[in-house]
Parts: sequence; structure tokens; C-alpha cells
Amino acid sequence: MIAHDIAHEFDQCIKCGLCLATCPACKELLLEKYSPRGKVQLARYYGHGDLELSDQYRDIFAKCLLCGACNVTCPSGVDLKKVFLGMREEIAGRRGVHPMVAAAVKSLAESRNISGEDNVERGDWKEALRGVPEEVFEKQKAEVVYFVGCVASFYPMVESIPRNLALILHGSGVNFTILGGEEWCCGFPLIGAGVPEKTKELIEHNLKKVRDLGAKRVVFSCPSCYRTWREFYGAEVELLHATQLVEKMIREGAIPLRRLEMTVTYHDPCDLGRNGGVFEAPRQILNSIPGITLVELENNRAKSICCGGGGNVEMVAPHLSSAIAQKKLEEIQRTGAKTVVTSCQQCVRTIKGQARRRKLDLQVMDVMELVLQAIPSVP
Amino acid sequence: MIPKQAVDAFRSIVGEEWCLDSPEDLATYSYDAFLPEFKPDVVILPGSNEEIVKIMKVASHEGIPVTPRGAGTNICGGSVAKKGGLVMAFQRMNRILEIDSENRCAVVEPGVVNADLQKAVAASNLMYPPDPASMFVSTIGGNVALNAGGPRGVKYGVTRDYVLGLKVVLASGEVIRTGGKTLKNVSGFDLTRLLCGSEGTLGIITEITVKLVPRPPAKATLQAIFLNLEDAAKTVSAIIGAGIVPTTLELIDRVVLDVIGSYGGASFRKDAEALLLIEVDGEPSLVEAQGKRIKEFCKARGAAEVEMAASQDEADKLWHARRTAFGAVASLRPNCIVEDATVPVKRLPDILRKVVEVAGKYRLKIGVLAHAGDGNLHPLIMTDLRDKEEMERIDRALEEIYEAAIAMGGTLSGEHGIGIAKKRFLSMEFSDASMEIMRGIKRAFDPQNILNPGSFL
Repeated sequence: MIAHDIAHEFDQCIKCGLCLATCPACKELLLEKYSPRGKVQLARYYGHGDLELSDQYRDIFAKCLLCGACNVTCPSGVDLKKVFLGMREEIAGRRGVHPMVAAAVKSLAESRNISGEDNVERGDWKEALRGVPEEVFEKQKAEVVYFVGCVASFYPMVESIPRNLALILHGSGVNFTILGGEEWCCGFPLIGAGVPEKTKELIEHNLKKVRDLGAKRVVFSCPSCYRTWREFYGAEVELLHATQLVEKMIREGAIPLRRLEMTVTYHDPCDLGRNGGVFEAPRQILNSIPGITLVELENNRAKSICCGGGGNVEMVAPHLSSAIAQKKLEEIQRTGAKTVVTSCQQCVRTIKGQARRRKLDLQVMDVMELVLQAIPSVP
Repeated sequence: MIPKQAVDAFRSIVGEEWCLDSPEDLATYSYDAFLPEFKPDVVILPGSNEEIVKIMKVASHEGIPVTPRGAGTNICGGSVAKKGGLVMAFQRMNRILEIDSENRCAVVEPGVVNADLQKAVAASNLMYPPDPASMFVSTIGGNVALNAGGPRGVKYGVTRDYVLGLKVVLASGEVIRTGGKTLKNVSGFDLTRLLCGSEGTLGIITEITVKLVPRPPAKATLQAIFLNLEDAAKTVSAIIGAGIVPTTLELIDRVVLDVIGSYGGASFRKDAEALLLIEVDGEPSLVEAQGKRIKEFCKARGAAEVEMAASQDEADKLWHARRTAFGAVASLRPNCIVEDATVPVKRLPDILRKVVEVAGKYRLKIGVLAHAGDGNLHPLIMTDLRDKEEMERIDRALEEIYEAAIAMGGTLSGEHGIGIAKKRFLSMEFSDASMEIMRGIKRAFDPQNILNPGSFL
């Protein structure tokens, strides 16, 4: 039976429908069952024993970005994301993990990463890295651990993100290292797949490795890793997203920045902004680079619309993911900026991927790439 | 139950993908924002006027009920299938067909979302004034069917004042056009205005021509706090009586202010009994002068504090309380019944007094939000539907409020509609003869009673 706290959430829904205004998935799919209100109704039907967990149920709850836009819109304060994650868990428990996600879950259990590669290859992004000595990554003790995350480690399109951050951290004298082959997936995809219990081993392992290094803080370039650590790890060290750390260093004068004449817009990643509460750090970074003009997207900060890359939707319904990415592209284009900056490798991948499919002349950058360009001393 | 051959016919008209009868689909089209739920037998999403014609021919031949549904945000049970049959939803028919700046109108399909139309016409420096609270979700088709209002109604009126013409598929499948693009039209009966607010009982609206107005270049936003509800109510009718036409004139009472405060929204001085939120729009010089005049008006009538926004940011801050009000109230108890009794604006103090009295008499927690400038009250009754005894008290309280409103020359519903919510009270407002005329009109449009049966007629 469905957990009591979830039943409490769906009983609070007054069916006003305001959540339909901000749900990117239901705007594409047009049918009520895909809307947050519709899914709450289905959760209620299941909770009250009026409907079984059918294949449709699995499909419907899988086509949700877990972007949290509905949570912000709901006038009754229903924690819709909690309901949807709870339903994914319930469905996975009773019907098994969604077939399109099952392979990833299985290979994650074996390889400890989302892409199913040998985990020792986690550090391959370093091969093209110049200017940071290898011993940085082999330290036995370090003040800061940079938790790279699976996507940035294994997807060539975004592997410059860890290189850029490593250069910035090293160049400004931060005593940091990485876990390398000992970094295991943070567990985020498993929570989204409805099997949060499988994260236990990963969490314990990662916590131990950070502890062994005597680190005081862990820094993340991936907003989803950052959030997962914050919400599920119970870590005793300070957790920071890269933008928070770098913003602080810029403010304290540790990173001098030269002029860059550019007009950019900024896309708030769901897990960093709305779900992680970090809105200003990336903007302050942009504003501290002389010559940068920031033009906000029409829907910014808590109202930011998901790029289409959230909630494992890409695995389940690639066309839906790309249709949502297309809307994001159009919103970006309306700003007139030729460059979109964000602070999440998944958003970079999704937006860049869609821009390429559309042969669009748009530069998609992680904020650290821009910072690096603005640092005079680093090549 | 719908005969299998009819379902097959529907499927072949719209295609497999848009004719739905799975338990999951039926469950998610069984509600709107009102309370009772009714499951349809089939949900259909037509893609064109032609498909609707074919659907209605099958439906009328087989005598199958058809209930049109926009976004399902109405709060009178207007779009639920009271008698089963088909729910017809318009999400696929969501194109803005034309924005005609010279004739200052737009032609849209029924599934266009109100806010999307607003945004589209703003690019041509025009405005579509009706702005119901549901505007980011609700559709123009639904707005027309329910004759939706909104805060701007004081100055600009409601949906009916902006509908110039309609294309309608009748129950039989025949297509009629009413009105057109002209502002003036006295030919024959005004079927356009009749269909507007008919709650889907007369025909399926498939195309709408709406009137647009020039976008006002400036606005001023003011907030006044009163320590006495009566003073606030009297200020409202005094402003209107003085010939000032505000765009918006909203009132929030003490109960709602307290809830907003405890919800973590804005906080107000403890002794505040009412808040007025006032907006004027137009040419900058006029707006400034009117803003000042309203400020003086409020002060002269006992306002303890009056604040005028100096920027859009400040205006947004003033609106924040009003915007969070409903959510705050709705989350306090499991259910919130939003009422809609409306009186001539001069009687606003009287009806407010009545609501407070009734709340005390029946031991109910009732807050009041009001589009005060047009006498449109929204008493918010915080309750739990499972509490049968309290529901009975609510029923008696509502009856008293409606009786009072009608005795003051008002109406059961200003902008939310009758549907199933207030059907039982209709006889308070209409004589048998009036009801018989309405039934006759219904028969003329829909002799078999297949359009939204079980609704107010």
C-alpha cells in the first residue's frame, strides 16, 4: 500500500489545474493523464484501491521530468514530486523498473556508473587536460573533493566541464582532488527509477572515500549529484555546487577576470535552481565578468522550464525530451543572445544536442567555460 | 454505456490516439475544479470543426451525451460528464488563427489558452481584457462557455463583452455562425451573447472571434489598509460613485489576511480588518492624477495606511498578497468552497456584513476575497467535505447568503457559473416563466438534450 505521507499529499490536491500551466511534459502530450493534476488523481485512485498499476501507469509516471515546476505552482502546497517519486517506487516494486530504464539500473549495479563503462575509465576526461599535474588527482589527503559525476565523466560532449573546473580550482590554489575510479554513481538515477533502496551501498561507499581523504567539503559540477548528496547522504562535510565555490572565490579576489564582450542568457537547471535553491551564484559569476551582458530568459529562476533532460525521460521517451528541448531553444532564441550559459552538464548536453539537430547557430556553455575564458593567466 | 459501433465510429473520425476509454483516461477526465466527479464513457479530442460535425452526427443519432471541456478549471461542475457519454476536450484545437490589428480582433480555436492569447496580442500592442485567475491554464472556449470574468472586470467587463462572433456545431451536427468581426450588429437575436455563458448546453463552440483593445500605456497600483471592514466597503462604492473607473478594485478581509500571514506570505498590521488593492490604467498623466485622487479618497474614508507602487516590482509586491490568498486559504483545511454571490456595488457593505453574520451564526470559517469594484464577492468557506454535519451548516449558510444577495438586486453567480453547484438555488433568481423560456431555448438548440445534460437546465 502507498505510504501514508504520500496519501496525505494527494488528498491536499484541490484539482484547480494551475499546475498544467507549468508542466512541460503535459503541454507536449496534451492529455490530462500526463498532467501533474492527472497523475495526482491516478495516485489517489491507486492509493484508494480503485485502479491497478497497469502498463499505462508505468508509462505515465515515467513521462515526468521530475523538474518540480508543478510544486512551485501548486497553490495548496502539494509536494507533487514526492507523489511522483513515490509512485515510481511503488510501480518499480510491484511491476519492476521501466524496461527502458532497467538496463541502466542493471549496468549501474555492476559498473557503478550510469553509462555501463569500466569505472576506472572515470578519469578519462583528464587525458586532454593540460596544466594540472597528475599528482593533484592522486592525493591521499585533500581539503576539497570534486565529485565529478557520471555524465561529465563518460560523455565526450561534456567532458570539458570537469577539465575547466579542475583548471580553475588548481589555478586558484584550491587543495582539491577527485575520487577517480573510486567515485561511484551518486544514486540519483536510481531514485528516479523508483529503486532508492539500491542507493545505500553507493552512498556508504562515497561517504567513506570522502572521509578517508579528510576532506572538509565536496564540490559538484552536477546539480543532481549535489542535490542527491544534500537530501540523501547525511554528509558531515560542507556541500557546494561549483558555482557557489567559484562565486565566493571571485568575490574574495582569488580569481581575477578580464573583459569579455558578450551577450549571454542563462538557463537555470531544475536541480540547481528550483530544486537546489541556487539562483544567484551563477548570475553573480556572470555579472562579475566585465563586458558580459546577461539577458534573462522569459522564465527564469524558480520559473525556469526544464531543458527536457530531467527525470530519465530521455531514456523512456526521447521524442518527448527533444520536443521539450525545442521549446527551450525557442525561448533562448527569443532573448536574442547567441550564447546560452548554464551550470549543469545534462542541460548542456540536451540543449546542445537539440541545437545540433536543428543546425542552429547557438553556443551552449557551462558557466565554468566562460570563467576560464575570462581568466587572463590560464590558456 | 455507448454502443460499440458508436465508439468505433468515433475512433475512425479522430484516430485511435485521440479517442480514449482506458480506465486511466476516464479517471483523469472525471473531474474539474469543482467537487463531485463523474466518469465519462469515452474521451474524445477532435482536431477540427469537420471532425466535430461528424462526431455530433453520430452522437445525436445514437443519443449519446456530449460534455465539452476546456482545461477543466471551472468551479461549478460545468465540464464533468454528469450523465456519462463523451467528454470532448479541445487541447488539439489550440491555434490562434488570426490577429487582425486593423479590425482590432482575433480569431482563435477554442483550445487556445487565455494567457497565450494575451501574450500574442500584446506583441501588436493590443490587449484581451478578460483575466480569470485560471488564465494561465483555462482556454478561450471554456472562458466563453462560462462567461469568465476576472479582476479587470470593473473597468473592462467580462468575456461576453469581448466575443464578437462564434462558429458553433449544433447537437445535430449542423454548423452555424453568429456575429462576425463587426463591433456593431443588430441583425436578429444576439446568439453570440446567448451562447456565451451557456455552459456547453447549447452547442459546441469551434471558433471564436474576440474583440481587442489598445494596451494601456501606464498603470498605477495602490494598497490601502483599513481598520474597519465597513469603511473599506464604503470606500469602494465611493470611488466608483465618484466617477473613477479603476481597472481593478480588490478587497481582502481580515480572515484571509490572517491566513496569508500564517502561510508565510506578506504580513499586515494586527488590527487590519480589510485591504483594498486598487489599480488604474490609461495615459500616464491620467493614471498619476487618478492614483493621487484614490489615495486621498482612501485616507478621507479612514484608511490607516495607503501605499502607491513606484515601480513594477513594487506593484508585484502589492499583488503578492492577493495572488497567494487563495492558495493560502485552500491549504488551511482539506477543502475550500469558493462562493460567487454578486450584488450591485453600492450594496457591498451590506452583503459583507451578511457574510460575517452568517459565518458567526453557523460557526463557519469564511474569509472574503472580493472583486469589490463590481460587487463580485468570493466568500471562501474553509471546510472538510467529510464532515457531514458541517456541510449541512454550510448549505444553510449559503442559502441565506444567496437570498440576501438576490434581495439586494444581485445574482447567485457573478462569474463562476451555475453548473451543478447552484442548480438547486436557481428558483431564487428565476421565475417559472423565466426557466421555461430557458428550457425552450435549450430545446430549440438541442431537442434531444445531449449537450452537457445534467447541467443547470
